[in-house]
Amino acid sequence: MTTKQNDILIEVHNLIAHYGETLVLDGISFTVKRVEIFVVIGGSGCGKTTLLKHMTALLRPTSGSVIYDGADITKMDEEQCAKVQRNIGIAFQSGGLFNSMTVGDNVALPLREYGGSDEDLIHAIVRLKLGMVGLGAAEHLMPGELSGGMRKRAGLARAIALDPPVIYFDEPSAGLDPIMASGLDDLILNLNRLSGITFIIVTHELESIRKIADRVLMLDQGKEIFLGTVEEALTSPVERVRQFFERRADDFIVQRGA
Amino acid sequence: MTTRRIALPASLDQESGRKLLESIKKERIAPGESLLLDFANTQTMDARGGAWIVALAEHARKENAELSWEGQQGDVADFVALIEPGLRAEILKRRETEGFIEHAGSTGIAVAAELREFGGLLVDATYWTLLAPIEGRGFRWGLWTDELYEMGVRAIRINFVMNFLLGLTIAMMSAAQMREFGLGIYVANLVMIGFSRELAAIMTAVVVSARTGAAIAAELATMKVQEEIDALRGMGLNVSQFLVAPKLLALLIVMPCLTALGMLAGIAGGTVWGVLVLEIRWDAWLNQTLSAATIDDIWQGMSKSIAFAIAIVLIGCHNGLRVRGGSRGVGLMTTRAVVMDIFAIVVIDMLFATMFYYVFD
Repeated sequence: MTTKQNDILIEVHNLIAHYGETLVLDGISFTVKRVEIFVVIGGSGCGKTTLLKHMTALLRPTSGSVIYDGADITKMDEEQCAKVQRNIGIAFQSGGLFNSMTVGDNVALPLREYGGSDEDLIHAIVRLKLGMVGLGAAEHLMPGELSGGMRKRAGLARAIALDPPVIYFDEPSAGLDPIMASGLDDLILNLNRLSGITFIIVTHELESIRKIADRVLMLDQGKEIFLGTVEEALTSPVERVRQFFERRADDFIVQRGA
Repeated sequence: MTTRRIALPASLDQESGRKLLESIKKERIAPGESLLLDFANTQTMDARGGAWIVALAEHARKENAELSWEGQQGDVADFVALIEPGLRAEILKRRETEGFIEHAGSTGIAVAAELREFGGLLVDATYWTLLAPIEGRGFRWGLWTDELYEMGVRAIRINFVMNFLLGLTIAMMSAAQMREFGLGIYVANLVMIGFSRELAAIMTAVVVSARTGAAIAAELATMKVQEEIDALRGMGLNVSQFLVAPKLLALLIVMPCLTALGMLAGIAGGTVWGVLVLEIRWDAWLNQTLSAATIDDIWQGMSKSIAFAIAIVLIGCHNGLRVRGGSRGVGLMTTRAVVMDIFAIVVIDMLFATMFYYVFD
């Protein structure tokens, strides 16, 4: 029950990152406002997931800063990072579930580690979160028994277990059927509106972007080529941005990787 | 049929939710009574408050009371819709454990199925290793040379050291017994026969199963988990040809070499002890060792090593390909492969001993 606000939650400033010798992010700067659904788009291999990993301090940049709620996470040591990471939810591309635990225990893990709540409440929260993502019946199954899409949703249930103020979500709807993908979009919108959760989402799905995105950041070969709303994107002067939204392949499959 | 109306607090959160559930648990629910949650007064609710309502629903289900809700408005209505699946969820049973007879039966079936699988792999691997290259149906010589290096060359140092130390230990142990009778020189015979018949082959097999056996199982298990095996099959390629045969042929060549090296290393270890500690002249020790050696003893050790090589590769591949689940499965299967390797080595050794001492003697 929170309205969209204008204060800044995350500020990324001139972020440069390499994998070995390869330049992956080339001077990215943007801000994410509190209670916003911020979508990062771009072709495959343009650095979206890398950007997400830098924003969650899973990777350290070559230079630049990521200021989360007033503190620069790129300058923090392990312990301080862990404190920040406790307050954010991350849902990984393929779920990132622990194979040795049931789905229910996976969702309960952060609650048991950080929640300090009693077992009845933990059980109820697990029920609630799994129900939200439509996996109420999968509580006692092992991750190995789930399909790819189910694992992804279970990963989201775990990410929202602690009701974090920010959730990073890597490719939420890839690999889901259209009904489930649309349901997931509704869930994201509801969580955003009712619980005031800020979402930072990496995705390719045009439908889903149109439906949920407040603002869009588009990357291309590690550079930022667009930042604004979907409406603005449709009339952007940059050819590649319009290409993406109109789903055109004028220069079909550019050879990249160098 | 009576209905108990429960008025929910204006703000439903962690604290008010807990109090609500506690007060409901205090009053017994009569048979046939149903619960009605009244959201009319509720202005705000958060996720923790929602979780307490789910816990309340769970409580009601356990008491066999029907639960319904009404009066939610605006955002609260949306929130209730969001948690509804959790409210309606059935109580899930944990998996039933099976009884003794069921357990015995399913174990028997599983063992039979595994043996059939292993037999299939044995036949496939034999064909693709020994016959297919002759028929010209393709063999991955490039991978084979890589494996020769990885399994063989890189194992030389550790294998030498392990056998050398064992030779030293055996010499120490037997010298303590023999010396009392002034038979120190016969330690040379014991080390020679011990290493050519048994010890070099066994110690080398243990080293190789820990290095190579575990590596094979982990590699194939990871490939299976990451759908690489399915990709191979999907391209119409044979797993035994592509992955198993090069490994098997490589170890069939490497294993006797490492075993021969192990024999030399073990005897060297014994000699060091004999010359330095038992103070026997080195040429006398060497003569004694050579006179004790027969080609039959060496042949016995070498033939065993071939059997060990086959066992290590096939057990590694078999367990790797059987993996279920993800990372945890890979660990379990690697452990299983090494344990089965060691077990197979001891059993094969015993069979060979029976054969050489009783059947052919």
